[in-house]
Amino acid sequence: MLRDRAWAHCTPNLRALSYRFAVCCDDGALGRHIEALLYAMCDSGDEEIAASDALHRYTLISVASGTLDLARDGELVRAGLTCADAIGWLVWDVNRAAAETSGQHLLFHAGGLEAAGRGVLVPGPSGSGKSTLTAGLARAGFAYLSDELVAFELATSRLLSYPKPITLKAGSFAALPELEPLADDDFGSRNPAAREWQVPVGASTALALGTPCEAAFIIVPRYDPGGTTSLSTLTETEAFFTLALNAVNLISHQTAGTEALGQLAARCECLRLCFSDLEEACRLVVDLVGVPAAQTC
Amino acid sequence: MDSQWPTADSRPVSRLGASTVELDDNVAVYDDVGQLLILLNSSAASVWALCDGSTTAQAIVEALAAAHPDHADVIGEDVRQTLRKLAELGLVSDMTGTDGAAAPGVAGS
Repeated sequence: MLRDRAWAHCTPNLRALSYRFAVCCDDGALGRHIEALLYAMCDSGDEEIAASDALHRYTLISVASGTLDLARDGELVRAGLTCADAIGWLVWDVNRAAAETSGQHLLFHAGGLEAAGRGVLVPGPSGSGKSTLTAGLARAGFAYLSDELVAFELATSRLLSYPKPITLKAGSFAALPELEPLADDDFGSRNPAAREWQVPVGASTALALGTPCEAAFIIVPRYDPGGTTSLSTLTETEAFFTLALNAVNLISHQTAGTEALGQLAARCECLRLCFSDLEEACRLVVDLVGVPAAQTC
Repeated sequence: MDSQWPTADSRPVSRLGASTVELDDNVAVYDDVGQLLILLNSSAASVWALCDGSTTAQAIVEALAAAHPDHADVIGEDVRQTLRKLAELGLVSDMTGTDGAAAPGVAGS
């Protein structure tokens, strides 16, 4: 089907951890927008491609109603989408597939950043402020690894990069106004009613990309509106169980995974960050990690 | 589970394959069979460490009482309850009367 259709735009091959994919659109402007959004995930081809790493193809097709149908490998993911929702579902599905196909790594529901070669892991469930804090720290000069899914490579004890766009929900918009999608984005993200922003990262943005690194800090966020912003030390036990609760596939790794959690909890400086003020929260982390901020957080 | 277990002669043994991680004064135990991740406090961790299949329950009590003489009067019951709880979770079984295999139907049932 893909060969038969004249696509207005197809992205280069992209990689989300072990998941390889490309996106084709029948709307050239939308295709270019998506390529720019996902460009940080361009597959460099540096890594050996296993037979299981087949390339998956997403398609976005305009339908008569003026909406879009999103499909993966010819199977419908969602129909009747606005542009903004189609992009949101695309990012969501890539994230899901990345988690499913990258099981050789220990995966955490977490944000990840790098500062001078030292990794900062920000584990937490939805609503904990994980993506907001990750975005704030990236804006402050930390290099970005991921805002949602961080892979810990067991063989090397490194955090890997999965530079998906940062997904910010409406509750974070006011704290991160600089990350509002560009004015020439006419694909719905600037709509006042937009439920989320997809923020591009990497080259041509102000948010630098990190490289694989060993974790040195574990910062467990807890967004507490109206509360005091503070950092407090976690015990090894608290850090271990926080990591376990936010590990996506601990069951798959059993003993090796459990031991990795223990090593992370023992080796890293582990803290809880309760925050209501993002600027203050970022300042505390910048002071802790000792990395000069590129901008005001 | 036998309501009298463990007896003084019971020889509890930790489940083969259960992995442990020392954390502060605690021990996390991951049982990949039951897919349980359990935190043992320092007292339970001390009992767990002696569940080697050769040390009897009585010897565990004596060893811990010697290490904690101020609590010697309660250690016997604490050890018994800890072993029963570990057995309920399937983390220990009883080697008594066996040649290496855990006695069936005694613990972890």
